Amino acid sequence: MSQIAELRVSEIEQFIAKLLDSPPYSLDPQERHDALLSLFKQELEYACEHSPHFANYVRHWPVRLAAAKTIAELPYLPVSVFKKNPPLSLVPASEIKRTLTSSSTSGQVPSRVVLDAATSRRMTKGVIAIIRDFIGPARRPYLVVDTKENLGRQTELGARGAAIQALGSFATEMVACLSTDAQGEPSLDIDKLLAFAEKWKQADVLVYGFTYVLWTQLVRPLQQRGITLGMSKVHVLHSGGWKRLEQQAVTKDIFVRDVAAVFGCAPDRIIDYYGMVENVGVVYPDCVRGYKHVPAFAEVMIRDPLTLAPVKPGKQGMVQVCSVLPTSFPGFLLLTDDIGEIVGEDGCACGRRGTYFRFLRRVPKVELRGCGNLETTRQRRNGTSA
Amino acid sequence: MNELAQMHEIINQVDSPHQLTDAARRLREAASEKDFTPQRVLEIFEQWAAALDDREVRDIPGVTFLRLWLRRGTLEPILIRELGPEWLAGEWRQDGRARLRAFPLGVVGHWPAGNIEIQAVLSLTCALLGGNTCMVRVPSGLVNPTRRMMEALATIDKSEFLASRIFLASFEHSRIDLHEAIARSVDGAMIWGGEEAVSQVRALPFPHWARVVVFGPRLSVAAMDAAAWADKNESASWCRRIARDVWQFEQQACSSPQALFVERDGAADPSGFVENLKLAFEEENQAHPRGEIEPALTSAICRTRASWLLEDLGNRALFPQSADWTILLGTGTEIPQPTQGKTLSVLVVDDLLEAIAKFDGSVQTLGLGVKDASKEEAIAEAAGRHGVDRVVRLGQMHVFSSPWDGMDLVRPMMRMIRHVKSYD
Repeated sequence: MSQIAELRVSEIEQFIAKLLDSPPYSLDPQERHDALLSLFKQELEYACEHSPHFANYVRHWPVRLAAAKTIAELPYLPVSVFKKNPPLSLVPASEIKRTLTSSSTSGQVPSRVVLDAATSRRMTKGVIAIIRDFIGPARRPYLVVDTKENLGRQTELGARGAAIQALGSFATEMVACLSTDAQGEPSLDIDKLLAFAEKWKQADVLVYGFTYVLWTQLVRPLQQRGITLGMSKVHVLHSGGWKRLEQQAVTKDIFVRDVAAVFGCAPDRIIDYYGMVENVGVVYPDCVRGYKHVPAFAEVMIRDPLTLAPVKPGKQGMVQVCSVLPTSFPGFLLLTDDIGEIVGEDGCACGRRGTYFRFLRRVPKVELRGCGNLETTRQRRNGTSA
Repeated sequence: MNELAQMHEIINQVDSPHQLTDAARRLREAASEKDFTPQRVLEIFEQWAAALDDREVRDIPGVTFLRLWLRRGTLEPILIRELGPEWLAGEWRQDGRARLRAFPLGVVGHWPAGNIEIQAVLSLTCALLGGNTCMVRVPSGLVNPTRRMMEALATIDKSEFLASRIFLASFEHSRIDLHEAIARSVDGAMIWGGEEAVSQVRALPFPHWARVVVFGPRLSVAAMDAAAWADKNESASWCRRIARDVWQFEQQACSSPQALFVERDGAADPSGFVENLKLAFEEENQAHPRGEIEPALTSAICRTRASWLLEDLGNRALFPQSADWTILLGTGTEIPQPTQGKTLSVLVVDDLLEAIAKFDGSVQTLGLGVKDASKEEAIAEAAGRHGVDRVVRLGQMHVFSSPWDGMDLVRPMMRMIRHVKSYD
C-alpha cells in the first residue's frame, strides 16, 4: 500500500472511531451531515483505489465526487448488486474473515458481503452502540430463540446468525431454546426454556429471535399450553420481515401484545428492529414512539422514484441507507428495495437527536405485463431465475 | 341499467357473465342488421383519424401511429394485399371453376396488452375491417385512454354504425368467470401481451370453431452500419429517430428497441455518436417527460446502470441523476436482458451480421440505419432467417402495419368461402 493510501486508511479509521465513540444519537444534524460527507468522500476515493470496477462506476456518476456538496449527490449502489457472486470486495481474498449472506426468500439469490477484520470489528461496535442506547450497557443472560447451530462463529454467516452473534457482546451466558427434531425441523425445547425462565425470573434478560420464528416457535406453543414465563425485566429484540405473519393476519399490535403477555413484561420491552446484511453495523430499533433513528455513523434518506432526488419529511419514497463502517466492500451508500418515509430531521419525542423515519413496505414487484415483456420466456430458455 | 343505456356506455363496467352473453347477442344482431361495406368502414376510420387530432386525445402515447394506421391510404393497400381487390369492391374472386370471397368470423374477442395505450383500439380495428363485431376486455390501465379515443369516434360515427359493433368491457383481471364468458361467446380472438397473460387467455374455453391469433411477447433491436453512425451530418438526425423509438410506450412495447448494434468503423470511436444520442435523449425527455414510475422499475434501472459499469472496465454509461433515461455503451453481439424504462444498450460489433446470427426468434423488429444498400439487403435476408418479422427504418419501429409478428392482421379473423356453382 502506498504511503498516501496508508495515510488515507488511518485517517478514515480515526474518523470512524470518533463517530463510533460518541453517543449514537447526540449529534447536531448539520454537524453530522458535514462530518459524514467528508468521510464518505474519502471512503469512496479509497474504494476507487482498491477496486477499478467500482472506480468505473464512480467515474460515470453524473456528479463528480469532488463537486458533490451533499451526501445525496454521492454515488450510491442499488443493494441488489450484492447478489453478485463472487461478492464485491475492496480487500484481497486473504484478508476476508467472514462472508455475510442475507435471508433471501425461496428461489431468490441472497446478497453476500465480505468482512475483513477491521470492518467486522466496527460492525460489532456499531451494533453495540445502538442496542446499548435502547437496553442499557449491562451484560446479562441471553436467550436465543433459535437452534444452537446458529450460535457458533462461522466463516459464511446468514442473517439470522449474524443478528444473534451481534448481540452476543451483551451476554453473560447464551442459551438457544430451539432444538432440531428427527426431521430436521426446529421445535421448542420447553424444559430448557422453563429452566432458563425460572433461573432468571428476577434478572435483566435479553431475548432475540427472528420475528416469524419467535412467533411460531415460541409464542404460539406457549399460548397453546397456557404458559407465561413471568420475566418482567426482559428485553425482547426481534428482526426480519413481517410478510409471513401478515399472511396469518398477525399485525404488529397483536404481535407485541402477545409476546409481552407470554413473557409477562410491558409491551415497550418488545423491540422490533430493521437491519440488512449489506448495511453492516447499523440496525434500526423502534423507539418508544415507534420510529427508527439514524446513528451518528450512518445516514438515511428517502428518494423520489421518479427523480431520485431526496424528498422532504412526510413524503414516501425509496430508502437509501448509508454507513461509514464498511471498508472491505463498497457498502457506504445503498439504495434499498424498501419504501419509507422520513418523519423528522431532529427532535423525536423519545429524546434521540437526528433523522428519524419509518419503513413502510418492500418495493412491490412489477406485474409481468406487456407485449415487450420477455423476462419469463428468456429466463426459462436460459435456465435462470431472478 | 336498461339495454339502451348500456349500449351507450363507452366502456362497460362488467360484474356478471350475463352482461357479456347479452352483449354478444346484441353484437350478432348488429352484425346482421347493418349494411356492412369495407368502404364505409374505411370512410369512418378516415374521419376518426382526423377526430383523433383533437388536443384531448393527441397526448395519448401512440395516437400519432393510430392516426396513421386509420388512414385510407394505409388500410386500403393492406386490404387489397390480404383479401384482394374484389373483396374491397364487394365481389367474389374467380378461382378456376369456383369463386372465393372472405366473410367475417362473427364476434371477435380482444385481449389487448395492458402497457400499450392504443392497443385495444388497434386490435378492434383489425376485426372491424373484415366486418366482424368486437368484444374487448379493456385492461384497467387502458380504460381512460381507450374511452377518450372511443369518444372521438362517437363524435363522427353519429349513426353508431361502428359503435353498435363494439362492446368494451372493464373488469378485474382475476375474474376468470368473466374472461370465460367472453371466450364462450366469440368466434375468434386476438390476444396480445406478455407470456403470463397470453397463456391464461389461450387456456380459456373458446368454442372449437373459434380462430385464436396470439401476438405474444417479443423484443426489438436497432442496428447501424459505420457509414450511417459515423456520418457527422446525419448523426444527430439518426439519434433523434432512435430516441423517438425508445421513448414511445416507455420502451415496453414489443417493437421498442432495447439494444442498438453499431458496426465498428476502423479506429473511429463511437463517443461522438453517443454524445449526440445523449443530446437526443435529453431533448426527447424534455418534450415527453415521464409523469410517474413504478419504484420497481427505478430499482431495475439503477441495478442495470451499476451492474453494467461494475461488470467490465471497458463498459461506459451516460445517465442523469434521475431514472429518466440510460445509455449503456460497450461491445458484444448478444442482446442484453432488457431493462426497459428508456435504457438502451449501445453495443459495438465488428459485423452486424454476427449479432443478427445470434437472434433466437424473440426479436420482432429490427430498426435499421444502414447506408450501404447491399449490406442492408444482406441484413434483411439474415434477419428474416433468424426469426425477425419486421425490418424497418429507425424512427419507424412502432408504425403499426400488416403483417405484424409475421401474420396478417385482417385475414385471420375471416373465413374464405368457396362457391362452386350448382349449374354451369
